Amino acid sequence: MYEIKWYFPQSIDEALDLIKLEGVIPHAGGTGILKSRLLEKIKGLVDLGKLPINYFCEENGEIKIGAMQTYNDVIENLQQIDPDSILIKALSQAASTPLRNRITVGGSVSYFPIWSDIMGPLIALDAKVTLLGENAGMYDIRYFAKNRLLRRNSLVKEVKFEKDRWRSYYFRAARTFFDYAAFTISILAKKDKNLVKDIRIVVTGCARKFSRLEDLEEELKGKETQDLNFDDIFKDINLEFRGKRHGSPEYLNHLFQVELARGLSKIFGD
Amino acid sequence: MKGVFKINGKERELTFKPHHTLLDILRDNGYTEVKEGCREGECGACVVLLNGKLVNSCQVLAASVIGSEILTVKGIGNLHSPHPIQEAFVEAGAVQCGFCTPGMVLATYYLFSKNTDPDEKDIKQALDGNLCRCTGYVKILDAVRLAIKKMKERENEKV
Repeated sequence: MYEIKWYFPQSIDEALDLIKLEGVIPHAGGTGILKSRLLEKIKGLVDLGKLPINYFCEENGEIKIGAMQTYNDVIENLQQIDPDSILIKALSQAASTPLRNRITVGGSVSYFPIWSDIMGPLIALDAKVTLLGENAGMYDIRYFAKNRLLRRNSLVKEVKFEKDRWRSYYFRAARTFFDYAAFTISILAKKDKNLVKDIRIVVTGCARKFSRLEDLEEELKGKETQDLNFDDIFKDINLEFRGKRHGSPEYLNHLFQVELARGLSKIFGD
Repeated sequence: MKGVFKINGKERELTFKPHHTLLDILRDNGYTEVKEGCREGECGACVVLLNGKLVNSCQVLAASVIGSEILTVKGIGNLHSPHPIQEAFVEAGAVQCGFCTPGMVLATYYLFSKNTDPDEKDIKQALDGNLCRCTGYVKILDAVRLAIKKMKERENEKV
């Protein structure tokens, strides 16, 4: 273990210079660093606490969340403007009250740990991630999640998504309340009278880390909700899972099918 | 490294290693009411209020919170002048081995700081990061309800 050196930058430019140093990583809430025992491998930590990236705002029809917002900050702020948001449903079930006061949006998005409850909803919301530094720019969250090299010498500044009225459903497959999820299902939908007007379905925790079920979404769009047979329609939808403490790949796939049907039934039931 | 912290209303300069957690430095400096349980953020025995927010002190690196205000269970009341929440835990018999009690009391204190009229769902969510291995949770939930009643009465007396 190295003797860790702490850096406390006062500006974003200073922080971006510091994270270029060998073995030096950013520190937001610190929960991911402690969980993954990164302290044993690193030489330095750049504390992001004093940088101007802790904000929450609604602007031009978009919700913008600064990287240093904690899960509980997001829950409290979203409750003021969109109390039915899928993010409130998901983040309220993540970890525990004291941990939600430390886990940050930026840290979760950067690391995308297996226990994250934020990625499924953000992918469903078609969120965009703004990066500063070597790979500065705005990225679709799916592209960002798949391209780990983007994080190199870069910091997450904010996550944003369109404010829109969705029916939403969130499910986390866990054995107890305080357990890492084997997988999560996020569903956003819009109904026009009895027709499925729009729908987005995202699963995280599968073998490919996350999957947007676009074929199923297309199949469901335009259908009469009362004609959907939730018991039959999903039998042919299979996702590949790896075996986990929660169960075998076959069990997890079956659980996914059951919970997907249950979720759609709930979201379209009046 | 060195850092100044305001602990239970008093400023203290503490010396610690860069990898030390807030739990480490509190216990090393006599704040043994902050209990060391799992060290993984799961049991809630080590919770404190950090700038008014409930956190697992084992999941906070001390260097990242230099200059912060920290409140432990001894900061809200003591043997001679207990806080209504502490009284409620005694009256409801919600203490068995006592190891989880500081965390339970602070989780209740934090709940009331955010919501003065919590329902059952709010109470259970507020305690979702605190484990008790002795009593089950019936007496603890009784204590939280009693504490809320006491604090509401106190608030009404002020008005």
